[in-house]
Amino acid sequence: MAHFIHFTDPNSQEMENYLKSIPACPGTCFFIDINKSTDLKYTGGLPDWGRKLNNTFNFISLLNDFPDNIVKGIGDEIMLFIPDERLKEKKTIKTYYQLLEEIYSTVYNICSFPVPGMFLPCKVSIHYCTEVYNVTFFKDANDYYGRDIDLTARLMTKAVENRIVLSEKFFVKVQNDLVNLGLPASFGCLSNVSGKFLEQFRGVPESTEYRVLDA
Amino acid sequence: MEITEKKAKNCTVVSINGRLDTTNYSVLEKKLMELIDAGEIKLLVNLSSMDYVSSSGLRILLMALKRITMAKGKFALCSLQENIKEIFEISGFTNIFEICDNEEAGLKSF
Repeated sequence: MAHFIHFTDPNSQEMENYLKSIPACPGTCFFIDINKSTDLKYTGGLPDWGRKLNNTFNFISLLNDFPDNIVKGIGDEIMLFIPDERLKEKKTIKTYYQLLEEIYSTVYNICSFPVPGMFLPCKVSIHYCTEVYNVTFFKDANDYYGRDIDLTARLMTKAVENRIVLSEKFFVKVQNDLVNLGLPASFGCLSNVSGKFLEQFRGVPESTEYRVLDA
Repeated sequence: MEITEKKAKNCTVVSINGRLDTTNYSVLEKKLMELIDAGEIKLLVNLSSMDYVSSSGLRILLMALKRITMAKGKFALCSLQENIKEIFEISGFTNIFEICDNEEAGLKSF
């Protein structure tokens, strides 16, 4: 349950005390952007783009086992946040490596699907967040804010169709999982991951290291 | 997950027992690719004892289908449990795989 922030006095000491008491909520943030849906809205009607969006959203939310972790959708982009505590509770996907393998497989399945026109291609950004808070400014809503959420959104600027952009921070988590599982560093989809890139993203004071993984 | 393999009259039957997910998909990948590389391009996969499949499991089935289709072989599935059938329907996989009700029907289709 998100911490609800709502104070009518902008200078409230109570608000300051409350904000100071809110703990960080570390976890993994994903942005998944469905490509081409805007174009489709100009070339076809709701029966066409509605069906493709339906199919693609179904594919993403159900098969990745985290339908309840979708924080929000804006048009054709969705944000998932999986707190570490939640990941530990899962029976099917319990590690960062498994998260990456599943999202990679989803993107692969969509882009390799032999029947054209059933799904829309996706691009994904992933970041492991420590500067993040489970807060909301709207009653009964659930949301996550923090500079690491903003960085996940910035990473998306490096994504193209059928590509996953992952921060080095998340990549290190995945590598640690592989060590713990006794698997080689290039196991599974990791065999396709790129070398390290460095980027100065808008609004982020320090440079960010990231890698890309094409399906 | 356990994988068993048997030779039938017109095809090879591969049976999957248990969950197919990120922890073990590579075992199935190795098995199917070895069979295909050895020229076994008529494959029937019996899923009667598979009770869970994740995206990574679906990816391996899709990869096998693509390779066998390219080799002009045949790849079919049979005996899907209800929950697996639902996943296949939602993901559109029922449109691309030949799916038979049971192994007997699957064998007859080859």
